[in-house]
Amino acid sequence: MNNNKPKILTANEASKIVESSVIKRRKKDARLKTYGRIAIGLAVSFLIFLFVSIFSKGIPGFFQYYVTLDVYLDRDRLDPKGDLSPVSLYNGDARSIVIESLYKVINPKGRKEKKAAKKIISTNADVRISKMVLDDPNILGKTIPITFAVDDDIDSFLRGYIKRDTPSSERRINDTVIKFVDKLSAENRISYKFSDYILTGSASRSPEIAGIKGAFIGSMLTLAVCFIIAFPLGVATAVYLEEFAPKNRITEIIEVNINNLAAVPSVVFGILGLAIFIGIFGMPRSIPLLGGMVLALMTLPTIIISSRAAIRAVPPSIKDAAYGIGASKLQTIFHHVLPLAMPGMLTGTIIGMAQALGETAPLLMIGMVAFIVDIPGGVTDPGTVLPVQIFMWADFAERMFIQKTSSAIIVLLVFLIFMNAAAVILRKKLERRW
Amino acid sequence: MVINSNINNVKTKTIGEIFSKDPKIICRHVDVFYGDKQAIKDVSIDISSREIISFIGPSGCGKSTFLRCLNRMNDTIDTCKVKGTILLDKDDIYDEKIDVVPLRAKIGMVFQKPNPFPKSIYENVAYGPRIHGLSSSKEELDFIVENSLKDSGLWQEVKDRLNSPGTGLSGGQQQRLCIARAIAVSPEIILMDEPCSALDPIATAKIEELINQLGKNYSIVIVTHSMQQAARISQRTAYFHLGELIEVGETKKIFTRPKDKQTEAYISGRIG
Ligand SMILES: Nc1ncnc2c1ncn2[C@@H]1O[C@H](COP(=O)(O)OP(=O)(O)O)[C@@H](O)[C@H]1O
Ligand SMILES: [Mg+2]
Repeated sequence: MNNNKPKILTANEASKIVESSVIKRRKKDARLKTYGRIAIGLAVSFLIFLFVSIFSKGIPGFFQYYVTLDVYLDRDRLDPKGDLSPVSLYNGDARSIVIESLYKVINPKGRKEKKAAKKIISTNADVRISKMVLDDPNILGKTIPITFAVDDDIDSFLRGYIKRDTPSSERRINDTVIKFVDKLSAENRISYKFSDYILTGSASRSPEIAGIKGAFIGSMLTLAVCFIIAFPLGVATAVYLEEFAPKNRITEIIEVNINNLAAVPSVVFGILGLAIFIGIFGMPRSIPLLGGMVLALMTLPTIIISSRAAIRAVPPSIKDAAYGIGASKLQTIFHHVLPLAMPGMLTGTIIGMAQALGETAPLLMIGMVAFIVDIPGGVTDPGTVLPVQIFMWADFAERMFIQKTSSAIIVLLVFLIFMNAAAVILRKKLERRW
Repeated sequence: MVINSNINNVKTKTIGEIFSKDPKIICRHVDVFYGDKQAIKDVSIDISSREIISFIGPSGCGKSTFLRCLNRMNDTIDTCKVKGTILLDKDDIYDEKIDVVPLRAKIGMVFQKPNPFPKSIYENVAYGPRIHGLSSSKEELDFIVENSLKDSGLWQEVKDRLNSPGTGLSGGQQQRLCIARAIAVSPEIILMDEPCSALDPIATAKIEELINQLGKNYSIVIVTHSMQQAARISQRTAYFHLGELIEVGETKKIFTRPKDKQTEAYISGRIG
């Protein structure tokens, strides 16, 4: 065995060598498996941590504290013109009526205490009464119990974020207010229930009545514009590049650039949108149409790349079959290639759209960060989108906005999960056509 | 229409009878290139009406390439260039004025691997008539589909499940579906590129029987790597080698008394 001359191994020698190497290989396999499990374990635990922290913070944000008051709906004071028109109602004296019914419960003494008592109820109380009257004018002249959101500081106090034992000077609410709140609690007038505002309210500086409806609709409109622009354009580009473009220098350069565009930071597309759509074409800022156009620029490369892959994956034998029977190129593409590539193209598109849904930076560039109370009614009404809303709320000082930020994140996540589920279902459904 | 007078006056190295009294397709001096590589060298041959002719030869000799010239399927390959003359009923099919759509409706094709569309059996057969506008009503289309499936011997097996996917059939049934799809547009010629090579012997036997039937109404050009198959179904056989057409003749003669040494070597199993 010691001579270095190469020789042919006997079957016995060979099997010994193989056996010893098998043990080594098994060990290597086992080690790799362990590393893989550790990696997956880490990833899963991060994910769980993320979800637990977001949900534990965000779920309380969907609920808030309310106070119930017996309000006498004085016809003359609420509806000064007497025609039940919104203008008349909004000019009415609803706010004072609500405050007066509050006073009846807590009996504030003197100017100072009265001033403190006013802080308890959200500024939105008058709007609530006007709406109730508009919905059902018959309630005018009656005394009925109505629940109002409490001010955000009171809410934080009731949640225990503002502590009783903190010195009064360092608290956002003083002892008088605490005394009143205790009194309301004692009379069972304080309740904790699902928020009327988080899902249906629009932007507001008062956190207790701020909601995500405006941002949600803004997101939907923006995504709709993005889809309408990016999907046809992306698919058409992919079809052209795959089926028609000659293979030469120019198409090669275009290909490389499309692939590079997919990796460009999204904020660059925002700058592009700012320079071109606002700067040159003079489009108004903050509108979903503009946001959708900018996001379409951003998602196009993703859609093009995945559509091309989907088209390339169509078996050439199917194309041969179509050409063989005399189908023209266009017929072959529209009757066979596109239907077969559609699941892949849609998956890519939805992934691109999901990215766009979570995008903040490019929209900040084009002014979708403006504080807009009105819910956009169309793509040309100024609006904002969910991630930008989250970004803005995270920046506000009020304690209650922290919960609302997490709630908005939950809504965004649910939206994303729905989109991805739609992608999966759509793909399954289209693929099931054999 | 171009070279009527001297069409049968060709200089060729091919041994045997390349001419036909009743030619459907006339090929003269056909060269095919993939880029710089020549895959077919100076092939001249006639294909008669209602004959079954088989192309045999070692793999890579250019049988498929030549077959695909006949319905211009090579157009779909960018690098492929065809030179020479191919006449269908005396019309040059490579003429600029010729549209490949009606040409391919006249010359159907069946491929090596069964390739039904991922649609229903009915839709597979109806597709051709539909895009060429061969039927004006649902009844007519139903009639065409039924007839094509009957002619391809598939009707009894599928008549109750016309709406189930064509890809769900067995390999042999799929191939017969592809034949039904080809004959649904009433072609004059059917090109088949090794139609049985992916099938088991029983399915192969069925297809061979079918080809024999179809040979009464169509010209059939079939590429095969099975000499027994060529012997069983074709009236004429053409032997290709390295892009050249070496010998053509009656199948019986080619298999019993080949004139060329290479043909003999291939047939007796020494090349291939
Ligand atoms: N698409 C193509 N591009 C380049 N060369 C090809 C292509 N198709 C076939 N060839 C070449 O042409 C020659 C003939 O091929 P083919 O006609 O497929 O032979 P056969 O069908 O007789 O086996 C082979 O050398 C093959 O490599
Ligand atoms: Mg071949």
